[in-house]
Amino acid sequence: MNSHQQKKSSLRQALKKSFLAFWAMTPLLVGVIGLVGLFQVLVTADMLKTLFRGNVIADTLLATLAGAAASGNPVISYLFGGELLGQGISLNAVIAFILSWVTLSFVHLPAEAEVLGFSFTLYRNILAFAFTLIIALLTSFTLQVLG
Amino acid sequence: MKENEKPMVFRGKYFLLLVLAAYMALFFFSSPTLLDALQKSGAILLKVLPIFAVVIIFTALLNYALQPKQIVQHLGEKSGAKGWLLALLAGVISHGPMYAWYPMITDLRSQGLRDGLIVVFFYARAIKLPLLPLMLDYFGAPFTLVLSVYILIGALLQGLIFEQLKQKRGASPVTSLLK
Repeated sequence: MNSHQQKKSSLRQALKKSFLAFWAMTPLLVGVIGLVGLFQVLVTADMLKTLFRGNVIADTLLATLAGAAASGNPVISYLFGGELLGQGISLNAVIAFILSWVTLSFVHLPAEAEVLGFSFTLYRNILAFAFTLIIALLTSFTLQVLG
Repeated sequence: MKENEKPMVFRGKYFLLLVLAAYMALFFFSSPTLLDALQKSGAILLKVLPIFAVVIIFTALLNYALQPKQIVQHLGEKSGAKGWLLALLAGVISHGPMYAWYPMITDLRSQGLRDGLIVVFFYARAIKLPLLPLMLDYFGAPFTLVLSVYILIGALLQGLIFEQLKQKRGASPVTSLLK
């Protein structure tokens, strides 16, 4: 076998290996997609809006949890965040909501634990939760200082 | 099957069964909601299929181009600053939902990808390059810039803290139960 044929064969093998690794995760991925679809129907934007009360700290915490509970394209979080801002909800809460939408997800937790382990998932999500709050507060503070 | 080839094990079978059970319950309690949920799930599946294809090809190309020892060198325990930067960059440019990347991460992890870099990758994904124009339009340039910088710093710090926690984990009897 010449070197060109060898390369072609190993690329084919890499593709096969990659496809099989993906195929092995199909039940998990289908499950996550099914759960995301379910959450998108059961957790509506109106439902999330009713959570906010105007208290900066409580709203920021709630926004982080709401972002983690919601699912869908991040565009929705920007649009929804802009809407919340227009309704007088604090910037901290809006930032926390946008960040947790992408970085935290209750829906993904079982799949993440299955793939990466319970301990990894626990630590990563606790860190992401804490940093979402910190970044929300810091961004808001920095923007105030910058005027 | 070759002697050293591992048999394929499907991941998340019980999880899928639980989700199916939830759909079954919905069938009895509210079939319009069930139809809505099925439609949403179908739409999501169609949307992520091209991303899945990209991930499969990308994983294959990585495996083809890099030997396991090179992966360890670039993304392993001794990858240094380069590893952190690569994880940040990969997080920022990665597209699609988090779960689409699980197969690739699992594959790289089995070849030596360090966990701290996975943490960085997941958080850096909060920066969405294709959505930056929308963020700029909605919230303005100072907001976008400040938030993006904090996300990058926050992602790196999380990775570093995670590695520290991982190192200390053996010392604590409570956390060692979580291993």
